[in-house]
Amino acid sequence: MKTVYKLSDRILIIIVGFATIFVLSSIFVLRDSIISVLILGAILYILSFFASYFISRNFSKRIMALTFKVQEMAAGNLSMRLKHNSKDEIGYLSNSINELMGRLQTGVAQDVSKHRQLNKAKTDFVAIASHQLRTPLSIIKWYVDYLICEDAGEINPEQKKYLKEVYRSNERLIELVNALLDVSRIDVGTFSIDPESTDIIERAEAAIKVLSREIENKKINLIKKYDKFPLLNLDPRLTKMVFQNILSNAVKYTPEAGIVKIVIKKIERDIFIKISDSGCGIPREEQPKMFSKMFRGLNAKKIESIGTGLGLYIVKAIVEKSGGKIWFHSPSLELLLAPGKNDSDIPLDKRNQGTTINITIPLKGMKRRAGTKKLTSIS
Amino acid sequence: MSKPKILIVEDELSLVEALNRKFSQAGFEILEANDGEIGLKTALKEKPDVVMLDILMPKMDGIEAMKQIRQDKKWGKRVPIIMLTNVNDSTTVSEAANYQVFDFLIKTDWRLDDIVDLVKSKL
Repeated sequence: MKTVYKLSDRILIIIVGFATIFVLSSIFVLRDSIISVLILGAILYILSFFASYFISRNFSKRIMALTFKVQEMAAGNLSMRLKHNSKDEIGYLSNSINELMGRLQTGVAQDVSKHRQLNKAKTDFVAIASHQLRTPLSIIKWYVDYLICEDAGEINPEQKKYLKEVYRSNERLIELVNALLDVSRIDVGTFSIDPESTDIIERAEAAIKVLSREIENKKINLIKKYDKFPLLNLDPRLTKMVFQNILSNAVKYTPEAGIVKIVIKKIERDIFIKISDSGCGIPREEQPKMFSKMFRGLNAKKIESIGTGLGLYIVKAIVEKSGGKIWFHSPSLELLLAPGKNDSDIPLDKRNQGTTINITIPLKGMKRRAGTKKLTSIS
Repeated sequence: MSKPKILIVEDELSLVEALNRKFSQAGFEILEANDGEIGLKTALKEKPDVVMLDILMPKMDGIEAMKQIRQDKKWGKRVPIIMLTNVNDSTTVSEAANYQVFDFLIKTDWRLDDIVDLVKSKL
């Protein structure tokens, strides 16, 4: 072990030094005058006091400086090293800390680089998927559209019908690729939330507009109940995406002439959104999986074979990352108790049970979230 | 009025053909380029009324081509540029916005007729 100049040793040396001066001068120089001895004693006492005070004050200062540096390391600056040129305890401690940080850094570096590699692989997948899958999808889309519009010559009704099937399936594929891209953006954590002044009711209406044809075709009774809202700090695209995903489920799984109800109101410090439907509901045993990736209810699959099972997963991520909450009930109390619902000739367990999805978003707006990717499955 | 001139810069030949036919039918004069470098050269030489750019292309990507077109003081500064691509991470979109892109379209989201309408609205 190297020689260490300890604090206690230094103070001891000073005290012993002064004591020796005192004893020697008392015996040999001042032996006749007790007063002189006392004065000298007092002076030396004060001197040694100041000397110890300054030494320890300096020591404390260096310890504090060291503490700040260690805190900086603890905060994540692993590449920082302590500079020192003293041979005392602090120098010794600094050395050990440097050594510790060196080891820690190598260990962490391995973990971080593994993590980075994995993340990069995922992001690369997103980029490759978006380009490689979308290019052939757009070729199919454009050429089939070309044929259907009869720009390349007349086709007979049967051919047209089949081509429309191709077109529809292709649109499903496009939708699936878009949803998968969003999911991967959510999982990699690179999607962004950009709140700006937004009219929430207008956003809900925009989502309803997209579904208006299906609502009309199925003669669904759409009930709307909106409070008045000032402009709120929301991400307009994501807000529409939330409405559209939930409403499209509601419309899809509600039978003809069923009810879909949308309520947007203010409750304390939240915007409260409630979307209920008189659709097939979610079987109790499947409810825990409701928000997981690729989940589709068994009864839902029977009604509509099309569906990615990604919509609610995306909605949940958007709502929760922007500071809100989402939960649901099925059967839906909202519509079971609704007046005018008269299907008493159907046994209770065969009836459509309905679903209610509840969402709250803070009135002060969505939390901003810097990210490199936007979610795009709904434009 | 003479035919409006559109430059289509796109490396996927079947997409070029589809675009070409639609725009010809709509009464456009078409210029084609299959990579960014040729696209840039053609653009500066022919000075079309509209430029349609893909992003991922050999030799020079669409963003770089757009950047260089914008450096042209007279024609290039003002010509409407439409990105027609399948890459849409927001860094690319915001980069494109820096060079006054007129619109940023994702191929799979757009029907050909709607693209033609959009381009016409810009003339």
